[in-house]
Amino acid sequence: MTGNRAGHRVAALLLVLWATGPLVARTWTVGPDGVHKKLAVALASAEPHDTIRVLQGTYSEGTLTIDRPLTLIGIGRPVIDGGRQGDVLVITAPDVTVQGFVVRGTLLSNIDDNAGIKVKKSDNVKILDNVLEHCFFAIHVSNSRNTVVAGNSVLGDPDEIETRQANGIHLWRCSGAEVVDNVSQDHRDGIYFEFVTDSHVRRNKSMRNSRYGLHFMFSHRDTYSDNLFTENGAGVAVMYSKEVEMRRNRFISNRGASSYGLLLKEINDVVIDSNQFINNTTGMLVDGCNRAEVNGNIFQANGWALRLFANATDGRFTGNSFIGNTFDMSTNGNPVYNSFSGNYWDRYQGYDLEHDGTGDVPFRPVSLFAMVNERMPYAVVLSRSLLTQLLDRAERLVPSMTPPGLEDDKPLMRSPHGTRNL
Amino acid sequence: MWKVYKYTLIDLARNKFVAGWMLLLLAISLGLFQLEDQPVKAMLSLSQVLLALVPLVSSVFTIVYLYDAMEFTELLAVQPLRRSKILSGQMLALGTALVLGALLGAGIPLVAFLPNGASFTLILACVMLTLVFVAIGSLIAIKNREKARGVGLGLVVWFLFVLVYDAVLLWVMFAFSDYPIEPWIVPLAALDPIDLGRIMVLLKVDLAAMMGYSGAVYEKFFGNVRGILVSLAALMAWVAIPSLFAFRAFGRKDL
Repeated sequence: MTGNRAGHRVAALLLVLWATGPLVARTWTVGPDGVHKKLAVALASAEPHDTIRVLQGTYSEGTLTIDRPLTLIGIGRPVIDGGRQGDVLVITAPDVTVQGFVVRGTLLSNIDDNAGIKVKKSDNVKILDNVLEHCFFAIHVSNSRNTVVAGNSVLGDPDEIETRQANGIHLWRCSGAEVVDNVSQDHRDGIYFEFVTDSHVRRNKSMRNSRYGLHFMFSHRDTYSDNLFTENGAGVAVMYSKEVEMRRNRFISNRGASSYGLLLKEINDVVIDSNQFINNTTGMLVDGCNRAEVNGNIFQANGWALRLFANATDGRFTGNSFIGNTFDMSTNGNPVYNSFSGNYWDRYQGYDLEHDGTGDVPFRPVSLFAMVNERMPYAVVLSRSLLTQLLDRAERLVPSMTPPGLEDDKPLMRSPHGTRNL
Repeated sequence: MWKVYKYTLIDLARNKFVAGWMLLLLAISLGLFQLEDQPVKAMLSLSQVLLALVPLVSSVFTIVYLYDAMEFTELLAVQPLRRSKILSGQMLALGTALVLGALLGAGIPLVAFLPNGASFTLILACVMLTLVFVAIGSLIAIKNREKARGVGLGLVVWFLFVLVYDAVLLWVMFAFSDYPIEPWIVPLAALDPIDLGRIMVLLKVDLAAMMGYSGAVYEKFFGNVRGILVSLAALMAWVAIPSLFAFRAFGRKDL
């Protein structure tokens, strides 16, 4: 009886082994001088979970599709050139890894959203350490979970007009994605998320994109940390999302009439902590935003450090430094449902008799001249003149035009961020 | 001319005023940089002080000095010297002394504490404003025989440029805000030398805000070095035109 059972076990094990195929995955090598010259052939003949090593060379084979779980590793940065026929690399299977390639040459089509690397309905895909150039969309991921996009350089064409550009890293209806250590530049949006939840965006650089460095909508419970967004046409805009965390990001030199370091529109429960907003036309614009926790950020040398619209409520601003901005704050109404406490304002001229580090008289961050500018933007040429100084000072003594109640009751005497130069 | 320049300069060196001016600027600059937590903030405060004080001191001192040196000027005028040489020597000497005062008093602290483009622009603006108001002061001193009247006029002109003109400009903006006046604002501001100096500094420290409004004219103007160059050229015109009138008036003046 026992012998019979043992026999069954062996048979079952054999059956499993047979069914799952060779347990040791094969490694294929594709190269211009090797046995396998065509990448497409290798992709079609490899078994699931095989590894394909691709040697240095240029592979121009039109659109390539990875339809089974494979690991593609480029040795010496081989080039996959799509020859502008459509997408370049399409991934339709889970557990695919693509690492170490140069991918270029998509068709430019708004109907098919052609991309350098396109991931469709596939979970656990890893796109690592690739260079994408001359692509319409560069990395396009949709309907997928747990995607990792890391260490890629996404280089668009800086001379292309905006309507012929698409997004660098584009995720649509994804969850659990990790977008880490990428560079995305000269596209339309550097990083674009729509319906992307529970994801992390870390240590990326997004610059010189014609529209937004980062753009997300309807993307909840995501975190963005240690990224750099600079010189993007309209800065960073994030909309219609909740439970978002943004920490230690840098929003630098986003200049232009409608350019923002960070534009928050209809964002609820957002934490904005220890970021730097430097040299932007508008550092941060808050429009229809509930329960924003804005702590420990630096606003320096911006035109308008903070524009807080009256429809923003329950925002809490503490421990931020406002240094060398043309205007610390402006508003379109009376956003009194936000609280300011314990921020450093370089315009503050109060005193601290108890020496507890906070000023004894409140600071009103919205100046009269900022209100004037809200009406007549060209009045900015008068900023820092004796006239506007006198007007602002008179207004501070006898407030009449600036929103009442909007004040920092415990302005810091020293910046929590130390001494800073322009 | 160079002899007049030399002796006027020696006289100015003996005069305690220029040294006092330099020490005052030094005290203000050092005080601000040591008092303020942030060097940037100190620079911005200093720019406001300098943009108001430099024109005032330059024009008033020029006026007072030219009146006080009247006897010497008369003595020179009887020598076989062209009058334009006398005046240019005196004005150059005044310009040199006051520019040196500003450079030593405010320039050195600025470069020491915050060596960046904004500081250098501020120094440049101070130098240009000194020259502009030496020229304006000379014109006033030559045009008016009475010292008190000349000094009073100098104060009025300073007040006009430092405050009244901006107030009028702001009023114009309000009054004509329904009209497309945007392209006219910067040219209008350029009619005031103190505004020009201020705009030069703004182009460095507030460029982000300057880029903010939609007038494409401004983006071109503010976006590059051209803004600074245009302001500089306008300031030079502000030196040249009053000087020219001063020379003409001095040439015809019955001493």
